[in-house]
Amino acid sequence: MTLFAQAFRPVGSNRVDPLLVALWIGLILLAVIWIAPFVFIVFTSLKSNASVMGTGAFAPPTDLAFDNYVAAWARGNFSTTVFNGVLITFIKVPLGVFLSAMAAYALARVPMRGSRPLFLLCVFGTMIPFQVMLAPIFQQVNAFGLINTYPGIILPYLAFGIPYQVFILHGFFSSVPKELSEAARIDGASHFTIFRRIFLPVSLPALSALFILDFVATWNEFAMALVILQDPRKWTLPLGLMTFQSQFQSDYGQLNAAIVMTVLPAAIVYLMFQRYFVAGLTAGAVKE
Amino acid sequence: MAKAFPSLRPQTQGYLLIAPALAVYALFAVYPMLNVVWMSFSAWNGLSPTSRFVGVANYRAVLTSDPVFWGALTNTVYWTALAVIVPNVVAFGLALALNQNLPGRSGLRVIFYLPVIIASIAVATIWKWMYDPFFGLFSNLLTTWGLTDFIGDWLGDRRIALWSVFAAYVWQTVGFAMVLFLAGLQNVSTTLVEAARIDGAGRWDVFRHVTLPAMKPTITVVFVLSLINSLKAFDIIYGMTGGGPAQSTQMLAMWAYTQSMQLGDFGKGAAISVILLVVTLAIVIPYLRWMQTQSEASK
Repeated sequence: MTLFAQAFRPVGSNRVDPLLVALWIGLILLAVIWIAPFVFIVFTSLKSNASVMGTGAFAPPTDLAFDNYVAAWARGNFSTTVFNGVLITFIKVPLGVFLSAMAAYALARVPMRGSRPLFLLCVFGTMIPFQVMLAPIFQQVNAFGLINTYPGIILPYLAFGIPYQVFILHGFFSSVPKELSEAARIDGASHFTIFRRIFLPVSLPALSALFILDFVATWNEFAMALVILQDPRKWTLPLGLMTFQSQFQSDYGQLNAAIVMTVLPAAIVYLMFQRYFVAGLTAGAVKE
Repeated sequence: MAKAFPSLRPQTQGYLLIAPALAVYALFAVYPMLNVVWMSFSAWNGLSPTSRFVGVANYRAVLTSDPVFWGALTNTVYWTALAVIVPNVVAFGLALALNQNLPGRSGLRVIFYLPVIIASIAVATIWKWMYDPFFGLFSNLLTTWGLTDFIGDWLGDRRIALWSVFAAYVWQTVGFAMVLFLAGLQNVSTTLVEAARIDGAGRWDVFRHVTLPAMKPTITVVFVLSLINSLKAFDIIYGMTGGGPAQSTQMLAMWAYTQSMQLGDFGKGAAISVILLVVTLAIVIPYLRWMQTQSEASK
Protein backbone atom coordinates (compact mmCIF):
# COMPACT_ATOMS: atom_id res chain seq x y z
CA MET A 1 0.00 0.00 0.00
CA THR A 2 2.09 2.91 -1.27
CA LEU A 3 -0.84 5.22 -0.59
CA PHE A 4 -0.41 4.70 3.12
CA ALA A 5 3.40 4.60 3.15
CA GLN A 6 3.80 8.29 3.96
CA ALA A 7 0.37 8.96 5.46
CA PHE A 8 -0.57 9.81 9.05
CA ARG A 9 2.77 11.41 9.78
CA PRO A 10 2.62 15.00 11.05
CA VAL A 11 4.95 17.69 9.71
CA GLY A 12 8.55 16.98 10.71
CA SER A 13 7.91 13.53 12.14
CA ASN A 14 8.47 10.01 10.87
CA ARG A 15 6.15 8.19 13.23
CA VAL A 16 2.52 7.36 12.59
CA ASP A 17 0.35 9.63 14.72
CA PRO A 18 -2.61 7.74 16.27
CA LEU A 19 -4.57 10.99 16.58
CA LEU A 20 -4.35 11.48 12.81
CA VAL A 21 -5.66 7.96 12.24
CA ALA A 22 -8.64 8.69 14.49
CA LEU A 23 -9.21 11.99 12.70
CA TRP A 24 -9.14 10.20 9.36
CA ILE A 25 -11.76 7.68 10.46
CA GLY A 26 -13.95 10.55 11.65
CA LEU A 27 -13.58 12.26 8.30
CA ILE A 28 -14.55 9.12 6.40
CA LEU A 29 -17.69 8.74 8.55
CA LEU A 30 -18.67 12.36 7.96
CA ALA A 31 -18.06 11.96 4.21
CA VAL A 32 -20.38 8.96 4.20
CA ILE A 33 -23.10 11.08 5.85
CA TRP A 34 -22.41 13.88 3.37
CA ILE A 35 -22.82 11.69 0.33
CA ALA A 36 -25.74 9.64 1.70
CA PRO A 37 -28.44 11.98 0.30
CA PHE A 38 -27.06 11.48 -3.22
CA VAL A 39 -27.10 7.70 -2.83
CA PHE A 40 -30.64 7.83 -1.47
CA ILE A 41 -31.81 10.01 -4.41
CA VAL A 42 -30.21 7.84 -7.09
CA PHE A 43 -31.54 4.63 -5.48
CA THR A 44 -35.05 6.03 -5.16
CA SER A 45 -35.01 7.26 -8.74
CA LEU A 46 -34.64 3.65 -9.88
CA LYS A 47 -37.43 2.23 -7.71
CA SER A 48 -41.10 1.81 -8.49
CA ASN A 49 -43.50 3.48 -6.07
CA ALA A 50 -44.31 0.11 -4.51
CA SER A 51 -40.69 -0.62 -3.66
CA VAL A 52 -40.11 2.95 -2.42
CA MET A 53 -42.79 2.27 0.17
CA GLY A 54 -41.75 -1.32 0.84
CA THR A 55 -37.94 -1.30 1.02
CA GLY A 56 -35.33 0.40 3.17
CA ALA A 57 -33.90 3.77 2.21
CA PHE A 58 -30.49 2.39 1.30
CA ALA A 59 -31.68 -0.92 -0.11
CA PRO A 60 -30.30 -1.02 -3.67
CA PRO A 61 -33.05 -0.93 -6.29
CA THR A 62 -33.86 -4.41 -7.58
CA ASP A 63 -36.44 -3.61 -10.24
CA LEU A 64 -34.32 -0.86 -11.94
CA ALA A 65 -37.27 1.26 -13.02
CA PHE A 66 -35.57 3.27 -15.75
CA ASP A 67 -39.03 4.20 -17.00
CA ASN A 68 -39.09 6.72 -14.09
CA TYR A 69 -36.62 8.74 -16.12
CA VAL A 70 -38.66 8.48 -19.31
CA ALA A 71 -41.86 9.47 -17.53
CA ALA A 72 -40.23 12.31 -15.57
CA TRP A 73 -38.62 13.65 -18.74
CA ALA A 74 -42.02 13.91 -20.42
CA ARG A 75 -44.00 15.17 -17.42
CA GLY A 76 -41.39 17.72 -16.39
CA ASN A 77 -41.12 19.12 -19.95
CA PHE A 78 -37.41 18.42 -19.81
CA SER A 79 -36.99 18.81 -23.57
CA THR A 80 -38.15 22.43 -23.21
CA THR A 81 -36.27 23.27 -20.02
CA VAL A 82 -33.01 21.65 -21.17
CA PHE A 83 -33.23 23.53 -24.47
CA ASN A 84 -33.83 26.87 -22.69
CA GLY A 85 -31.13 26.18 -20.13
CA VAL A 86 -28.56 25.33 -22.80
CA LEU A 87 -29.51 28.34 -24.94
CA ILE A 88 -29.41 30.85 -22.07
CA THR A 89 -26.22 29.44 -20.55
CA PHE A 90 -24.34 29.15 -23.85
CA ILE A 91 -25.12 32.76 -24.79
CA LYS A 92 -24.76 34.33 -21.35
CA VAL A 93 -21.54 32.71 -20.16
CA PRO A 94 -19.17 33.39 -23.11
CA LEU A 95 -20.66 36.84 -23.68
CA GLY A 96 -20.38 37.76 -20.01
CA VAL A 97 -16.78 36.58 -19.68
CA PHE A 98 -15.84 38.43 -22.89
CA LEU A 99 -17.48 41.74 -21.88
CA SER A 100 -15.94 41.47 -18.41
CA ALA A 101 -12.50 40.77 -19.88
CA MET A 102 -12.75 43.86 -22.13
CA ALA A 103 -13.74 46.07 -19.21
CA ALA A 104 -11.16 44.55 -16.86
CA TYR A 105 -8.39 45.07 -19.43
CA ALA A 106 -9.32 48.74 -19.83
CA LEU A 107 -9.51 49.29 -16.06
CA ALA A 108 -6.22 47.52 -15.42
CA ARG A 109 -4.04 48.59 -18.35
CA VAL A 110 -5.39 51.74 -20.02
CA PRO A 111 -4.60 55.00 -18.22
CA MET A 112 -7.97 56.74 -18.06
CA ARG A 113 -9.63 59.41 -16.03
CA GLY A 114 -12.21 57.91 -13.69
CA SER A 115 -10.92 54.35 -13.76
CA ARG A 116 -10.57 54.25 -9.96
CA PRO A 117 -14.22 55.13 -9.15
CA LEU A 118 -15.38 52.82 -11.95
CA PHE A 119 -13.41 49.97 -10.40
CA LEU A 120 -14.83 50.70 -6.94
CA LEU A 121 -18.36 50.74 -8.38
CA CYS A 122 -17.62 47.32 -9.79
CA VAL A 123 -16.22 45.88 -6.53
CA PHE A 124 -19.30 47.21 -4.78
CA GLY A 125 -21.44 45.26 -7.25
CA THR A 126 -19.80 41.96 -6.29
CA MET A 127 -21.35 42.25 -2.84
CA ILE A 128 -24.96 43.12 -3.59
CA PRO A 129 -27.34 40.16 -3.43
CA PHE A 130 -29.95 40.45 -6.19
CA GLN A 131 -32.34 38.20 -4.25
CA VAL A 132 -32.98 41.30 -2.15
CA MET A 133 -34.46 43.26 -5.06
CA LEU A 134 -36.26 40.89 -7.37
CA ALA A 135 -39.24 43.18 -7.87
CA PRO A 136 -37.28 46.22 -9.15
CA ILE A 137 -35.38 43.93 -11.53
CA PHE A 138 -38.71 42.60 -12.78
CA GLN A 139 -39.91 46.18 -13.20
CA GLN A 140 -36.84 47.22 -15.21
CA VAL A 141 -37.02 44.18 -17.52
CA ASN A 142 -40.73 44.87 -17.90
CA ALA A 143 -40.01 48.49 -18.86
CA PHE A 144 -38.04 47.15 -21.84
CA GLY A 145 -40.88 44.78 -22.71
CA LEU A 146 -38.62 41.77 -22.20
CA ILE A 147 -40.56 39.64 -19.68
CA ASN A 148 -40.68 36.00 -20.90
CA THR A 149 -37.91 36.51 -23.44
CA TYR A 150 -34.34 35.19 -23.62
CA PRO A 151 -32.75 38.68 -23.68
CA GLY A 152 -34.93 39.57 -20.69
CA ILE A 153 -33.18 36.96 -18.53
CA ILE A 154 -29.73 37.16 -20.14
CA LEU A 155 -29.32 40.92 -19.57
CA PRO A 156 -29.84 40.87 -15.76
CA TYR A 157 -27.71 37.70 -15.54
CA LEU A 158 -24.94 39.62 -17.31
CA ALA A 159 -25.42 42.67 -15.09
CA PHE A 160 -25.03 40.67 -11.87
CA GLY A 161 -22.22 38.44 -13.21
CA ILE A 162 -19.99 41.20 -14.61
CA PRO A 163 -18.75 42.76 -11.33
CA TYR A 164 -17.21 39.56 -9.90
CA GLN A 165 -15.62 38.62 -13.22
CA VAL A 166 -14.20 42.11 -13.78
CA PHE A 167 -12.81 42.03 -10.24
CA ILE A 168 -11.04 38.69 -10.77
CA LEU A 169 -9.74 39.53 -14.25
CA HIS A 170 -8.60 42.98 -13.12
CA GLY A 171 -6.36 41.28 -10.61
CA PHE A 172 -5.09 38.87 -13.24
CA PHE A 173 -4.43 41.51 -15.93
CA SER A 174 -2.68 43.79 -13.44
CA SER A 175 -0.12 41.06 -12.80
CA VAL A 176 0.78 40.57 -16.48
CA PRO A 177 4.32 41.96 -16.95
CA LYS A 178 4.52 45.40 -18.58
CA GLU A 179 7.12 44.31 -21.17
CA LEU A 180 4.54 42.10 -22.84
CA SER A 181 2.31 45.00 -23.84
CA GLU A 182 4.85 47.87 -24.05
CA ALA A 183 6.57 46.47 -27.16
CA ALA A 184 3.27 46.18 -28.98
CA ARG A 185 2.31 49.70 -27.89
CA ILE A 186 5.52 51.09 -29.38
CA ASP A 187 4.81 49.26 -32.65
CA GLY A 188 1.61 51.28 -32.83
CA ALA A 189 -0.87 48.54 -31.96
CA SER A 190 -4.20 49.74 -30.58
CA HIS A 191 -5.53 48.62 -27.20
CA PHE A 192 -8.09 46.51 -29.04
CA THR A 193 -5.31 44.57 -30.75
CA ILE A 194 -3.24 44.19 -27.58
CA PHE A 195 -6.27 42.94 -25.70
CA ARG A 196 -7.16 40.39 -28.38
CA ARG A 197 -3.70 39.23 -29.41
CA ILE A 198 -1.83 39.31 -26.10
CA PHE A 199 -4.08 39.52 -23.05
CA LEU A 200 -6.84 37.11 -24.07
CA PRO A 201 -4.37 34.30 -24.90
CA VAL A 202 -2.26 34.68 -21.75
CA SER A 203 -5.31 34.77 -19.49
CA LEU A 204 -6.87 31.54 -20.79
CA PRO A 205 -6.51 29.74 -17.42
CA ALA A 206 -8.32 32.53 -15.56
CA LEU A 207 -10.94 32.80 -18.29
CA SER A 208 -11.62 29.05 -18.17
CA ALA A 209 -12.02 29.13 -14.40
CA LEU A 210 -14.56 31.94 -14.63
CA PHE A 211 -16.26 30.22 -17.55
CA ILE A 212 -16.84 27.01 -15.62
CA LEU A 213 -17.86 28.72 -12.38
CA ASP A 214 -20.34 30.86 -14.28
CA PHE A 215 -21.66 27.91 -16.27
CA VAL A 216 -22.75 26.15 -13.08
CA ALA A 217 -24.12 29.35 -11.49
CA THR A 218 -26.20 30.22 -14.57
CA TRP A 219 -27.44 26.67 -15.06
CA ASN A 220 -28.60 26.56 -11.42
CA GLU A 221 -30.05 30.06 -11.05
CA PHE A 222 -33.62 30.11 -9.76
CA ALA A 223 -34.83 33.35 -8.13
CA MET A 224 -34.32 35.73 -11.07
CA ALA A 225 -35.74 33.20 -13.55
CA LEU A 226 -38.76 32.84 -11.27
CA VAL A 227 -39.77 36.50 -11.65
CA ILE A 228 -38.79 37.01 -15.30
CA LEU A 229 -39.67 33.72 -17.01
CA GLN A 230 -43.31 33.19 -16.14
CA ASP A 231 -44.26 31.40 -19.37
CA PRO A 232 -43.66 27.62 -19.00
CA ARG A 233 -42.28 27.53 -22.57
CA LYS A 234 -39.38 29.72 -21.43
CA TRP A 235 -38.61 27.88 -18.17
CA THR A 236 -35.15 26.68 -17.23
CA LEU A 237 -34.40 23.45 -15.35
CA PRO A 238 -34.69 24.79 -11.79
CA LEU A 239 -38.13 26.25 -12.55
CA GLY A 240 -39.19 22.95 -14.10
CA LEU A 241 -37.99 21.02 -11.04
CA MET A 242 -39.86 23.37 -8.68
CA THR A 243 -43.12 22.75 -10.51
CA PHE A 244 -42.49 19.03 -10.69
CA GLN A 245 -41.88 19.02 -6.94
CA SER A 246 -45.18 20.74 -6.16
CA GLN A 247 -47.31 18.77 -8.63
CA PHE A 248 -46.00 15.21 -8.55
CA GLN A 249 -44.44 14.94 -5.12
CA SER A 250 -46.02 11.58 -4.38
CA ASP A 251 -44.58 9.96 -7.54
CA TYR A 252 -41.40 9.32 -5.58
CA GLY A 253 -39.44 7.48 -8.24
CA GLN A 254 -40.16 10.08 -10.90
CA LEU A 255 -39.50 13.02 -8.56
CA ASN A 256 -36.08 11.61 -7.76
CA ALA A 257 -35.38 10.93 -11.44
CA ALA A 258 -36.20 14.59 -12.12
CA ILE A 259 -33.76 15.66 -9.38
CA VAL A 260 -31.00 13.49 -10.85
CA MET A 261 -31.55 14.86 -14.36
CA THR A 262 -31.51 18.47 -13.10
CA VAL A 263 -28.36 18.04 -11.03
CA LEU A 264 -26.32 15.79 -13.32
CA PRO A 265 -24.97 18.33 -15.87
CA ALA A 266 -23.53 20.62 -13.16
CA ALA A 267 -22.16 17.62 -11.23
CA ILE A 268 -20.41 16.28 -14.34
CA VAL A 269 -18.92 19.69 -15.17
CA TYR A 270 -17.70 19.95 -11.57
CA LEU A 271 -16.14 16.50 -11.45
CA MET A 272 -14.38 17.12 -14.78
CA PHE A 273 -13.05 20.58 -13.95
CA GLN A 274 -12.74 20.67 -10.13
CA ARG A 275 -9.35 22.31 -10.33
CA TYR A 276 -10.87 25.38 -11.97
CA PHE A 277 -13.55 25.77 -9.30
CA VAL A 278 -10.99 26.11 -6.56
CA ALA A 279 -8.90 28.50 -8.69
CA GLY A 280 -11.87 30.70 -9.58
CA LEU A 281 -13.25 30.87 -6.05
CA THR A 282 -10.09 31.44 -4.13
CA ALA A 283 -8.67 34.01 -6.56
CA GLY A 284 -11.44 36.37 -5.55
CA ALA A 285 -11.60 35.82 -1.86
CA VAL A 286 -8.15 34.89 -0.62
CA LYS A 287 -5.08 36.84 -1.62
CA GLU A 288 -1.99 34.74 -2.25
CA MET B 1 -13.04 45.97 -35.98
CA ALA B 2 -9.71 46.60 -34.32
CA LYS B 3 -8.28 48.06 -37.50
CA ALA B 4 -11.24 50.39 -37.94
CA PHE B 5 -10.09 52.96 -35.39
CA PRO B 6 -6.32 52.84 -35.12
CA SER B 7 -6.12 56.60 -34.57
CA LEU B 8 -8.38 56.86 -31.48
CA ARG B 9 -6.73 58.19 -28.35
CA PRO B 10 -5.85 55.45 -25.84
CA GLN B 11 -8.26 56.87 -23.29
CA THR B 12 -11.12 56.74 -25.80
CA GLN B 13 -10.21 53.15 -26.66
CA GLY B 14 -10.38 52.35 -22.96
CA TYR B 15 -13.83 53.84 -22.58
CA LEU B 16 -15.03 51.92 -25.66
CA LEU B 17 -13.80 48.67 -24.07
CA ILE B 18 -15.64 49.40 -20.82
CA ALA B 19 -18.83 50.73 -22.39
CA PRO B 20 -20.76 47.48 -23.09
CA ALA B 21 -20.16 45.97 -19.64
CA LEU B 22 -20.84 49.26 -17.90
CA ALA B 23 -24.08 49.85 -19.83
CA VAL B 24 -25.51 46.44 -18.93
CA TYR B 25 -24.40 46.74 -15.31
CA ALA B 26 -25.81 50.26 -14.92
CA LEU B 27 -29.14 49.47 -16.58
CA PHE B 28 -29.95 46.13 -14.97
CA ALA B 29 -28.15 46.24 -11.61
CA VAL B 30 -27.46 49.81 -10.51
CA TYR B 31 -30.69 51.33 -11.79
CA PRO B 32 -33.00 48.78 -10.09
CA MET B 33 -31.14 49.38 -6.83
CA LEU B 34 -31.79 53.13 -7.05
CA ASN B 35 -35.31 52.63 -8.36
CA VAL B 36 -36.27 50.45 -5.40
CA VAL B 37 -35.67 53.43 -3.12
CA TRP B 38 -38.03 55.55 -5.19
CA MET B 39 -40.57 52.72 -5.31
CA SER B 40 -40.53 52.39 -1.54
CA PHE B 41 -42.00 55.91 -1.31
CA SER B 42 -44.78 55.23 -3.81
CA ALA B 43 -47.84 53.07 -4.29
CA TRP B 44 -47.93 50.81 -7.35
CA ASN B 45 -49.77 47.57 -8.02
CA GLY B 46 -47.55 46.31 -10.85
CA LEU B 47 -50.20 46.81 -13.52
CA SER B 48 -51.34 50.43 -13.66
CA PRO B 49 -49.27 52.75 -15.88
CA THR B 50 -48.53 55.28 -13.14
CA SER B 51 -47.46 55.12 -9.52
CA ARG B 52 -48.32 57.60 -6.80
CA PHE B 53 -45.99 59.24 -4.27
CA VAL B 54 -47.10 58.32 -0.74
CA GLY B 55 -44.18 59.44 1.44
CA VAL B 56 -43.25 57.10 4.26
CA ALA B 57 -46.62 55.33 4.30
CA ASN B 58 -45.10 52.04 3.09
CA TYR B 59 -42.49 52.04 5.82
CA ARG B 60 -45.11 52.86 8.41
CA ALA B 61 -47.31 50.03 7.15
CA VAL B 62 -44.43 47.55 7.14
CA LEU B 63 -43.15 48.50 10.60
CA THR B 64 -46.46 48.89 12.40
CA SER B 65 -49.28 46.97 10.75
CA ASP B 66 -47.57 44.10 8.88
CA PRO B 67 -48.13 40.98 11.00
CA VAL B 68 -45.39 39.05 9.21
CA PHE B 69 -42.55 41.58 8.97
CA TRP B 70 -41.25 41.30 12.54
CA GLY B 71 -41.40 37.52 12.48
CA ALA B 72 -39.49 37.52 9.19
CA LEU B 73 -36.94 39.93 10.65
CA THR B 74 -36.46 37.78 13.75
CA ASN B 75 -36.04 34.67 11.59
CA THR B 76 -33.52 36.50 9.38
CA VAL B 77 -31.49 37.57 12.42
CA TYR B 78 -31.43 34.06 13.95
CA TRP B 79 -30.70 32.49 10.58
CA THR B 80 -27.85 34.91 9.85
CA ALA B 81 -26.29 34.51 13.29
CA LEU B 82 -26.29 30.71 12.96
CA ALA B 83 -25.26 30.81 9.29
CA VAL B 84 -22.01 32.61 10.10
CA ILE B 85 -21.21 30.22 12.97
CA VAL B 86 -22.36 26.65 12.34
CA PRO B 87 -21.26 25.92 8.73
CA ASN B 88 -18.04 27.89 9.16
CA VAL B 89 -16.96 26.13 12.34
CA VAL B 90 -17.59 22.76 10.67
CA ALA B 91 -15.77 23.97 7.55
CA PHE B 92 -12.79 25.21 9.56
CA GLY B 93 -12.49 21.85 11.30
CA LEU B 94 -12.72 20.03 8.00
CA ALA B 95 -10.12 22.29 6.40
CA LEU B 96 -7.69 21.74 9.32
CA ALA B 97 -8.22 17.98 9.08
CA LEU B 98 -7.92 17.85 5.30
CA ASN B 99 -4.74 19.90 5.49
CA GLN B 100 -3.07 16.99 7.37
CA ASN B 101 -1.17 14.20 5.74
CA LEU B 102 -4.11 11.83 5.25
CA PRO B 103 -4.71 9.34 2.43
CA GLY B 104 -7.51 10.10 -0.02
CA ARG B 105 -7.93 13.68 1.11
CA SER B 106 -8.55 15.06 -2.40
CA GLY B 107 -11.43 12.61 -2.80
CA LEU B 108 -12.85 13.68 0.57
CA ARG B 109 -12.58 17.32 -0.52
CA VAL B 110 -14.61 16.57 -3.65
CA ILE B 111 -17.34 14.91 -1.57
CA PHE B 112 -17.68 17.80 0.89
CA TYR B 113 -17.77 20.32 -1.93
CA LEU B 114 -20.29 18.46 -4.10
CA PRO B 115 -23.47 19.95 -2.51
CA VAL B 116 -22.20 23.46 -3.29
CA ILE B 117 -22.47 23.00 -7.04
CA ILE B 118 -25.99 21.54 -6.88
CA ALA B 119 -28.77 24.01 -7.75
CA SER B 120 -30.19 25.27 -4.46
CA ILE B 121 -33.68 24.49 -5.66
CA ALA B 122 -32.50 20.88 -6.12
CA VAL B 123 -31.04 20.92 -2.60
CA ALA B 124 -34.46 22.08 -1.39
CA THR B 125 -36.21 19.32 -3.34
CA ILE B 126 -33.78 16.66 -2.08
CA TRP B 127 -34.22 17.66 1.56
CA LYS B 128 -37.97 18.11 1.30
CA TRP B 129 -38.12 14.54 0.07
CA MET B 130 -35.76 13.30 2.78
CA TYR B 131 -38.02 14.96 5.38
CA ASP B 132 -41.14 13.28 3.95
CA PRO B 133 -42.89 12.01 7.09
CA PHE B 134 -44.08 8.80 5.40
CA PHE B 135 -41.41 7.46 3.06
CA GLY B 136 -38.55 9.97 3.37
CA LEU B 137 -35.02 9.09 4.42
CA PHE B 138 -35.33 10.13 8.06
CA SER B 139 -38.63 8.42 8.80
CA ASN B 140 -37.36 5.33 6.98
CA LEU B 141 -34.14 5.19 9.01
CA LEU B 142 -35.89 5.89 12.32
CA THR B 143 -38.39 3.12 11.58
CA THR B 144 -35.55 0.71 10.81
CA TRP B 145 -33.85 1.60 14.09
CA GLY B 146 -37.13 1.23 16.00
CA LEU B 147 -37.26 4.91 16.96
CA THR B 148 -40.66 5.68 15.48
CA ASP B 149 -41.43 8.08 18.35
CA PHE B 150 -38.89 10.49 16.95
CA ILE B 151 -40.53 10.75 13.53
CA GLY B 152 -41.90 14.27 13.23
CA ASP B 153 -43.45 16.46 10.61
CA TRP B 154 -40.14 18.26 10.21
CA LEU B 155 -41.31 20.83 7.70
CA GLY B 156 -44.93 20.98 8.84
CA ASP B 157 -44.31 21.77 12.51
CA ARG B 158 -43.86 25.51 12.96
CA ARG B 159 -41.58 25.12 15.97
CA ILE B 160 -38.91 23.18 14.06
CA ALA B 161 -39.49 23.97 10.37
CA LEU B 162 -36.92 26.77 10.23
CA TRP B 163 -34.22 24.55 11.77
CA SER B 164 -35.05 21.70 9.42
CA VAL B 165 -34.43 24.07 6.52
CA PHE B 166 -31.26 25.29 8.22
CA ALA B 167 -29.88 21.73 8.35
CA ALA B 168 -30.17 21.58 4.55
CA TYR B 169 -28.44 24.95 4.34
CA VAL B 170 -25.52 23.69 6.42
CA TRP B 171 -25.12 20.65 4.16
CA GLN B 172 -25.14 22.94 1.14
CA THR B 173 -22.71 25.63 2.33
CA VAL B 174 -20.00 23.89 4.39
CA GLY B 175 -17.99 22.98 1.27
CA PHE B 176 -17.75 26.57 0.10
CA ALA B 177 -16.18 27.85 3.33
CA MET B 178 -14.01 24.73 3.50
CA VAL B 179 -12.40 25.50 0.13
CA LEU B 180 -11.66 29.08 1.18
CA PHE B 181 -10.18 27.94 4.52
CA LEU B 182 -8.04 25.33 2.76
CA ALA B 183 -6.69 28.02 0.43
CA GLY B 184 -5.95 30.20 3.45
CA LEU B 185 -4.13 27.34 5.18
CA GLN B 186 -1.70 27.20 2.26
CA ASN B 187 -0.44 30.58 3.50
CA VAL B 188 0.48 29.18 6.91
CA SER B 189 4.25 28.73 6.82
CA THR B 190 5.25 25.07 7.31
CA THR B 191 8.74 26.12 8.38
CA LEU B 192 7.21 28.12 11.21
CA VAL B 193 5.04 25.15 12.25
CA GLU B 194 8.06 22.85 12.11
CA ALA B 195 10.21 25.26 14.09
CA ALA B 196 7.55 25.60 16.78
CA ARG B 197 7.25 21.80 16.94
CA ILE B 198 11.00 21.38 17.37
CA ASP B 199 10.93 23.99 20.14
CA GLY B 200 8.50 21.71 21.94
CA ALA B 201 5.21 23.48 21.25
CA GLY B 202 2.15 21.23 21.53
CA ARG B 203 -0.60 20.97 18.95
CA TRP B 204 -2.75 23.55 20.69
CA ASP B 205 0.12 26.05 20.99
CA VAL B 206 0.96 25.69 17.29
CA PHE B 207 -2.67 26.21 16.38
CA ARG B 208 -3.11 29.14 18.75
CA HIS B 209 0.10 31.03 17.99
CA VAL B 210 1.01 30.08 14.41
CA THR B 211 -2.01 28.85 12.45
CA LEU B 212 -4.73 31.12 13.84
CA PRO B 213 -2.88 34.44 13.40
CA ALA B 214 -1.99 33.52 9.80
CA MET B 215 -5.64 32.63 9.10
CA LYS B 216 -7.07 35.94 10.33
CA PRO B 217 -7.59 37.53 6.87
CA THR B 218 -9.25 34.37 5.54
CA ILE B 219 -11.52 34.14 8.56
CA THR B 220 -12.67 37.73 8.00
CA VAL B 221 -13.36 37.05 4.31
CA VAL B 222 -15.36 33.90 5.03
CA PHE B 223 -17.25 35.65 7.84
CA VAL B 224 -18.40 38.49 5.58
CA LEU B 225 -19.16 36.29 2.57
CA SER B 226 -21.29 33.93 4.64
CA LEU B 227 -23.09 36.90 6.20
CA ILE B 228 -24.03 38.21 2.76
CA ASN B 229 -24.88 34.73 1.48
CA SER B 230 -27.22 34.16 4.39
CA LEU B 231 -29.19 37.28 3.45
CA LYS B 232 -29.62 35.73 0.02
CA ALA B 233 -31.35 32.65 1.43
CA PHE B 234 -34.30 32.57 -0.89
CA ASP B 235 -34.29 29.52 -3.15
CA ILE B 236 -33.95 27.01 -0.33
CA ILE B 237 -36.84 28.50 1.69
CA TYR B 238 -39.00 28.93 -1.40
CA GLY B 239 -38.36 25.34 -2.41
CA MET B 240 -38.81 23.69 0.98
CA THR B 241 -41.58 25.58 2.78
CA GLY B 242 -42.53 28.66 0.75
CA GLY B 243 -42.31 30.60 4.03
CA GLY B 244 -44.82 28.37 5.83
CA PRO B 245 -46.23 26.76 7.87
CA ALA B 246 -48.05 29.84 9.17
CA GLN B 247 -45.17 32.12 8.04
CA SER B 248 -42.87 30.43 10.57
CA THR B 249 -40.00 30.20 8.04
CA GLN B 250 -40.63 33.55 6.41
CA MET B 251 -37.51 35.68 5.80
CA LEU B 252 -37.06 39.27 4.63
CA ALA B 253 -35.86 38.61 1.05
CA MET B 254 -38.71 36.17 0.53
CA TRP B 255 -41.26 38.46 2.17
CA ALA B 256 -40.21 41.37 -0.09
CA TYR B 257 -40.75 39.09 -3.08
CA THR B 258 -44.14 37.90 -1.78
CA GLN B 259 -45.39 41.43 -1.15
CA SER B 260 -44.44 42.66 -4.62
CA MET B 261 -44.79 39.72 -6.95
CA GLN B 262 -47.57 37.74 -5.31
CA LEU B 263 -49.65 40.28 -3.38
CA GLY B 264 -49.06 43.05 -5.96
CA ASP B 265 -48.02 45.68 -3.40
CA PHE B 266 -44.78 46.90 -5.00
CA GLY B 267 -44.47 49.84 -2.61
CA LYS B 268 -44.44 47.70 0.52
CA GLY B 269 -42.21 45.10 -1.11
CA ALA B 270 -39.77 47.88 -2.04
CA ALA B 271 -39.77 49.23 1.53
CA ILE B 272 -38.77 45.77 2.82
CA SER B 273 -36.08 45.51 0.11
CA VAL B 274 -34.66 48.89 1.13
CA ILE B 275 -34.50 47.86 4.78
CA LEU B 276 -32.63 44.71 3.79
CA LEU B 277 -30.35 46.65 1.41
CA VAL B 278 -29.43 49.12 4.16
CA VAL B 279 -28.51 46.20 6.43
CA THR B 280 -26.42 44.67 3.63
CA LEU B 281 -24.61 47.95 2.94
CA ALA B 282 -23.89 48.39 6.64
CA ILE B 283 -21.90 45.14 6.37
CA VAL B 284 -20.45 45.57 2.88
CA ILE B 285 -19.07 49.10 3.08
CA PRO B 286 -16.87 48.63 6.19
CA TYR B 287 -15.70 45.33 4.68
CA LEU B 288 -14.66 47.00 1.41
CA ARG B 289 -12.80 49.68 3.40
CA TRP B 290 -10.98 46.92 5.28
CA MET B 291 -10.10 45.13 2.02
CA GLN B 292 -8.69 48.36 0.64
CA THR B 293 -6.44 48.97 3.63
CA GLN B 294 -5.32 45.33 3.40
CA SER B 295 -4.36 45.62 -0.26
CA GLU B 296 -2.59 48.94 0.36
CA ALA B 297 -0.70 47.42 3.28
CA SER B 298 0.52 44.56 1.07
CA LYS B 299 1.89 46.94 -1.60
